[in-house]
Amino acid sequence: MTRLLFAAFLAAASARAVEPAVFSVKTMTAQMKYDTAELLVQPGQPVKITFENGDDLPHNLVFCQPGTDTAAMALKQMEKPEEALKRNWLPDDPRIWAHSKMLNPHEKEVVSFSAPGKAGSYPYVCTFPGHALTMRGVLKVAVMGDTLHDLQFALYLGNWQKLPDFSKLKPHREGKIDDNLIQVKLDDYKNEFGVVFTGKLIAPKKGSYRFFLSSDDGARILIDGKEVVAYDGIHPAGDIKEQGLTLEEGEHAFRLEYFQGGGNIELYAAWKGADFQITPLSKWLHPNWQGGTKKQKEFDPIPLVVKDEAVIYRNFIQGAGNRGIGVGYPGGVNIAWSAESMNLALIWRGAFMDASRHWNSRGGGHEKPLGYDVLQPTGEVTPAFFVTDKPEAEWPKWDKAKRYEGFHWLGYSLDAKRSPTFRYTWQGAEIEESFTVEGNGNMAEGHAKLIRTLKVAGKLPANAWYRVGSGAFESKDGMFISKGPLSYRITVSDAQLAGQNLVIPAKTGTMTITYQWAQ
Amino acid sequence: MKRILFLSLLCSPLLAADPVEADFYKITTFATPKETAMEVGSIDLMPDGKLALGTRRGEIWIISGAGSNDASNVSYKLFASGLHEVLGIAYNPKDKNLYATTRYEITRLKDTDNDGRADVFENVNDSWGVSGDYHEYAIGSRFDQAGDLWVTLCLTGSFSSAVPFRGWAVRIKPDGTMVPTCSGIRSPGGIGFDADGEAYYCDNQGPWHGSCTLQHLVPGSFQGHPGGNIWYDLAPNMGPRPIDPLPEAFQGGKGRKNKREGGDPDRMVTERERIKQLVPPAVYLVHGKIGNSASAIICDLSAGKFGPFSKQLFVADQSHSNLSRVYLETVNGIKQGVVIPFRSGFASGIIGGRMDEEGRVFVGGSDRGWGARGGKPFCFEKCEWTGKTPFELHEMHAKPDGFEVTFTQPIDPASAGDVKSYSMREFTYAYREEYGGDEVSEVLPKITAAKVAADGKSVRLTISPLTKGHIHELHLDGVRSAEKLPLLHKVGYYTLNEIPAK
Repeated sequence: MTRLLFAAFLAAASARAVEPAVFSVKTMTAQMKYDTAELLVQPGQPVKITFENGDDLPHNLVFCQPGTDTAAMALKQMEKPEEALKRNWLPDDPRIWAHSKMLNPHEKEVVSFSAPGKAGSYPYVCTFPGHALTMRGVLKVAVMGDTLHDLQFALYLGNWQKLPDFSKLKPHREGKIDDNLIQVKLDDYKNEFGVVFTGKLIAPKKGSYRFFLSSDDGARILIDGKEVVAYDGIHPAGDIKEQGLTLEEGEHAFRLEYFQGGGNIELYAAWKGADFQITPLSKWLHPNWQGGTKKQKEFDPIPLVVKDEAVIYRNFIQGAGNRGIGVGYPGGVNIAWSAESMNLALIWRGAFMDASRHWNSRGGGHEKPLGYDVLQPTGEVTPAFFVTDKPEAEWPKWDKAKRYEGFHWLGYSLDAKRSPTFRYTWQGAEIEESFTVEGNGNMAEGHAKLIRTLKVAGKLPANAWYRVGSGAFESKDGMFISKGPLSYRITVSDAQLAGQNLVIPAKTGTMTITYQWAQ
Repeated sequence: MKRILFLSLLCSPLLAADPVEADFYKITTFATPKETAMEVGSIDLMPDGKLALGTRRGEIWIISGAGSNDASNVSYKLFASGLHEVLGIAYNPKDKNLYATTRYEITRLKDTDNDGRADVFENVNDSWGVSGDYHEYAIGSRFDQAGDLWVTLCLTGSFSSAVPFRGWAVRIKPDGTMVPTCSGIRSPGGIGFDADGEAYYCDNQGPWHGSCTLQHLVPGSFQGHPGGNIWYDLAPNMGPRPIDPLPEAFQGGKGRKNKREGGDPDRMVTERERIKQLVPPAVYLVHGKIGNSASAIICDLSAGKFGPFSKQLFVADQSHSNLSRVYLETVNGIKQGVVIPFRSGFASGIIGGRMDEEGRVFVGGSDRGWGARGGKPFCFEKCEWTGKTPFELHEMHAKPDGFEVTFTQPIDPASAGDVKSYSMREFTYAYREEYGGDEVSEVLPKITAAKVAADGKSVRLTISPLTKGHIHELHLDGVRSAEKLPLLHKVGYYTLNEIPAK
């Protein structure tokens, strides 16, 4: 939920689409009012409103340009009521830019649109005769501020009543947060831990800024090493604490310390400047925060905890197609393997998977890895093996409606530690693939490595290649270093760079490929 | 005091509360392991009285002691986890392995080191497609008499098929090859076999289905929803693609509440004449009355250990958390029959079910995604006959001019022979693309005669008119047993696909 549009341009590495603002607007029974008087969105933000008519009369929801006299507009229809009736009481007026149908009592409609690009107050109204005077509200379009950059976390284990001096403690796990939003959903620990978030905050100009904080249990925010606002101790996230200060233009060190005793886990942080509205820095939003972009309810996490055995999770994993097999290895390194392309699809560090999306309701959608530093060494759901006399050629791309020809999925067996060996055939050759982990993926400095071992038996076709990476690589000291936004290294014998492909001539026997995150 | 006692004894046949389902069939709820949500999706029997349970969360549990009279004797062992939704589990007595039907694959699970946990997971067949849509459930059977597994593959959503064989029933042969077997599947909820080994599945209310249905999986047939028929090119064994049913929903874009001049044009009974591969539902599981979300199919092969309903089918419902009972017959080569409420009150939405040889019905499920009356998020339960025979409609047979109804106990000739003890309503559903539908084309026939058989266990009803293709809803409110008891369930819904000539 990156709430600021310009931050997405600023930080290309963390750029992603603005998530839709999701609202529910109801008509109140026999009161001639909507239950929502104000909606707050960002310029251009996708908006999805579930409009429900709980009243005993027909109502609609009509959005107009700023300054429209909505009551006069609705009333004007009475000059030609027969025409208006044919239009189901939707005024023929160019100032209307989005609207629902005229809903009968107890009907529902989802209205979707992109918010206007220009900041301002856009009135909404029911245009059924006589309703517009009281059944109205305002869609406010306002710019939001920047969010954090280079957000990192360090997780500590301990049982505290107040925030400890984290500088004297050794972290249990460290990493970065890809979406740069403060969140405590990173791990499989539910009680007795603390997290220190550090990142950069860019003040657009010299001026006064205000910081907001709420948490369950204690937390405090420090800017450039100085405490700005604190809410320490064991408590629910009842109040929002706030405090102002003056910042110079430019980059500031941001630090948020948090600890969890037991029970609920909640953490809300936000800031506000002279030129932008309250802008959350956290994923979770306090129910009383003054913004209007309410998130749809998410499910309580169901993290799949990896202890001393590998854990397998076959389900829809984002980036691993529809036949993905997730494996969480002890040591904080995880993979998703595809039984569609018979290839390694993803590698990531830290926690394994959150099953809550699939184990709640009807279980739809693809879930992303729960950990961080997600690598996709080759494209989504592309095979590693390919026959070509031009290894720089483009590798086959996934056609969701088709299966890759020549591949046959055989299954997997588990060793004593439940680590799988995947088996498949390609063009008659039998291939076995297994993985081991070195180092500690739970720590940024843990030198975590994934070692991939491939055993090929049988005859391979001529000009068969095996691709271990794609994108831009730099060859250095026998390693191939990815020049992508997330740097990592591949170590493998006999590899060569061919255009965007890092390939090995495929042959019978054993191959070892090592993937390692750059520190 | 003495007088009161005397009075109550005297009056007890009249004053005693009417019998209830629990007097005849008791439900036992098993405690399940705390570390998991036992969202049972499938159940099969294993040797030594053990059960295999496959769950929506992708686990397979092996259960011991569930047959014991003491529910606390049940014990659980996690055999496998991490599979993609186990909505079919089958024990193969030939190789002694379990086979799981999952979202995109039949997996053979082997425990090669005999530690009680599977360590080899072999792909038996993964030939059908998976698009990533949540709706594409794959529901698998246990092994049939030929050693095949049957899989019904839900469409991509309600209307269409994005990848091969979505909207089909397929068979997986012992050598692992896949045989496309029936087209026309919409949203299957369960699959099972009758006493003769014929395969059936339950489809759910939606496009082309005014109601949930029990359908006979005749190899080569088209089961009614044309969304998956685009894959006939991949199934040469199935012959030419059937012509499409009339897309009634496109005719004017009217809502289903709108009146149409001349009524709804499309009926299963007329489309059957046009589309030769179309097999009508054997039984409509009347929407809202029998259930809303039909699932497991369980055949009573216990030869009387589950009571008087030997060889009949029991159909579960996720949303109503109940079991209904189905008696089927074959008329003019087509399966048809009656569905009667049987037992309600299960703890959650029932999805998987299986009866053991001792007549114990094991069921389980979850309410996830659609909600269930039971109220619990998931359950694993057992339903057993108490040994008392309920007074029930036993079988219902179509006749050229009415029905023959048999009962589980001798009937009172006076009430059973009185036409006023009965009432009947006939209706059908439009066979159309739009979602669901009302009970339409109602006919209120006359019951002109009710003749009790000489053995006092059946009655022959003469009804005018019978309507081919309609559901015949028979109420037997006035019928009493020889002991003057009313029926435990006073209604049956007979789907009259064919009217017999004699």
